[in-house]
Amino acid sequence: MKVRPINITAYLLLIVFAVIPLLLGLGYALLYSFGLAGALQNSFTLSNWQKLFAESEVLSSFAYSTALALTSIIVSVSIALAVTVIYPGMFGKGLFNYLIYLPLAFPAMVAAFFFFQFLSKAGILARMFFQLHLISSIEQFPDLVNDRWGIAIIVTQVFVSCPFFILLLGNLYVTERVNDFILLSESLGATRQQSMRKIALPMLLQKCFPTMILYFIFMFGAYEVPVLLGRSNPEMVSVFAVRKLQRFNLLDIPQGYAIAILYTLVVFILILFMLKKKSLAHHV
Amino acid sequence: MFKARTILRFSIAIICIFPVLMLLLLSVSQNWVFPYLLPQKYTAENWLELLRGNSIAISLLVSISIALLVAFLSTVAGFITSQLIAYHANRKYLLLLAYLPFLLSPVILAVCLKFYFNKMNIAGTFLGVVLAQMIIAFPYCIIFFISFWNQRIRQYQNLVNTLGGNNYYAFNKIILPVAKPMLLVCFFQSFLISWFEYGLTSVIGYGKVQTLTIKVYQFLNEANLFYAALSCCLLIIPPVILLWVNKRFVFRED
Repeated sequence: MKVRPINITAYLLLIVFAVIPLLLGLGYALLYSFGLAGALQNSFTLSNWQKLFAESEVLSSFAYSTALALTSIIVSVSIALAVTVIYPGMFGKGLFNYLIYLPLAFPAMVAAFFFFQFLSKAGILARMFFQLHLISSIEQFPDLVNDRWGIAIIVTQVFVSCPFFILLLGNLYVTERVNDFILLSESLGATRQQSMRKIALPMLLQKCFPTMILYFIFMFGAYEVPVLLGRSNPEMVSVFAVRKLQRFNLLDIPQGYAIAILYTLVVFILILFMLKKKSLAHHV
Repeated sequence: MFKARTILRFSIAIICIFPVLMLLLLSVSQNWVFPYLLPQKYTAENWLELLRGNSIAISLLVSISIALLVAFLSTVAGFITSQLIAYHANRKYLLLLAYLPFLLSPVILAVCLKFYFNKMNIAGTFLGVVLAQMIIAFPYCIIFFISFWNQRIRQYQNLVNTLGGNNYYAFNKIILPVAKPMLLVCFFQSFLISWFEYGLTSVIGYGKVQTLTIKVYQFLNEANLFYAALSCCLLIIPPVILLWVNKRFVFRED
């Protein structure tokens, strides 16, 4: 069979912009982490990986990233589900339909900057509290930025992702004809609450699940928001890896690459899981 | 019931619009001391400085140029490559190749690739940043276009071939006109991917290629929140316009 020039171009593009960067980047990181590349290259060694796992920082960083990403997703989807199921079609048309899009126009860096100005000790919220006489000095305002619970990170990620899920679920509510199923169940004797709990919520959650996984992966690897609003211990994975890689201590660099490999493995497993699930593979 | 619905609508609307108003207000301010709720001094000087061509104006031009170039190149490349993947016997595995660079944290991908960009002497250059951003924008375009290449499009191509038209004719006269709205939306979205990018640009650009997102971070470190707010406003304006233009395609046609 004759290979068309357009197919050769397509193969070349795929190889140059997807396959080669991945192979080269991850290959270099893997070699560096085993002591086979970079300024400290000598012979094959597992010591970098052993040192990494000896530190509690790695586990806490992965756990912290998972916790923050999961919390942000759960809060966003819960709000979006509540709005969609209780008030379907709320943002269907008119001015509100445009306003709900606004947070989607926020780059992560801008959203992080705004919430830094809003939640920090000298921020807008603290000033409001002061004017309302709820606090009498700046120190009395709680730490909401760079705090141990990642409150500012969660709030920022919810602010950016919640409108997306409201719009997605609102769209699914119409295309999956959820309202028709609710009416049918009610005509068969179900209460409004039963219809929502047993029909609307499972239908919407099932359809939205692949997007939730994708969003989880994005939030898990987020950089801009935690670098501005997070604290230095524990750190989210991306911030932790970059900090290790950009330190002046050369001995930290192999460990930074090892973290990058670990992170890639986690993402790879999640994508495989997504593609393996029948319903999710169909979505892809 | 109606009242609760109205209150909720207005609350969500306020939450969405308040950050934009606040950033606009800060961009025209010069003095904002605790505990005052609003800035004490307002001025158009920050915006006038921009018109006179200060460093923010240069960053704006750099950001626009990079985003336009990345959007154009990745949309064209993604459109071509997605056809190959869509009709390929190993579609699932090829798609995995597209998903991985798109879903990986750009900053982690960047630190892994920095060595090669250094070797090629394109780290810290405009070209380097464009190529680096294409590594995430191009897979997105593939994923975006994969659903376009369905059975109906294939049948159109076959029909043109049956009636005597060649592949070029089928592409030019049938596929391109049908794909035009999607091409436009993909262009907008990959423009936004590049426009929003920070981590990868900061690592590969070495701080020498100063896009607006890099500027925001720099102004924040310098505690110059009024210039940071001005840069934020500039970062929000194009996405707002683009979202307004293509929102019908994004959520209605999928």
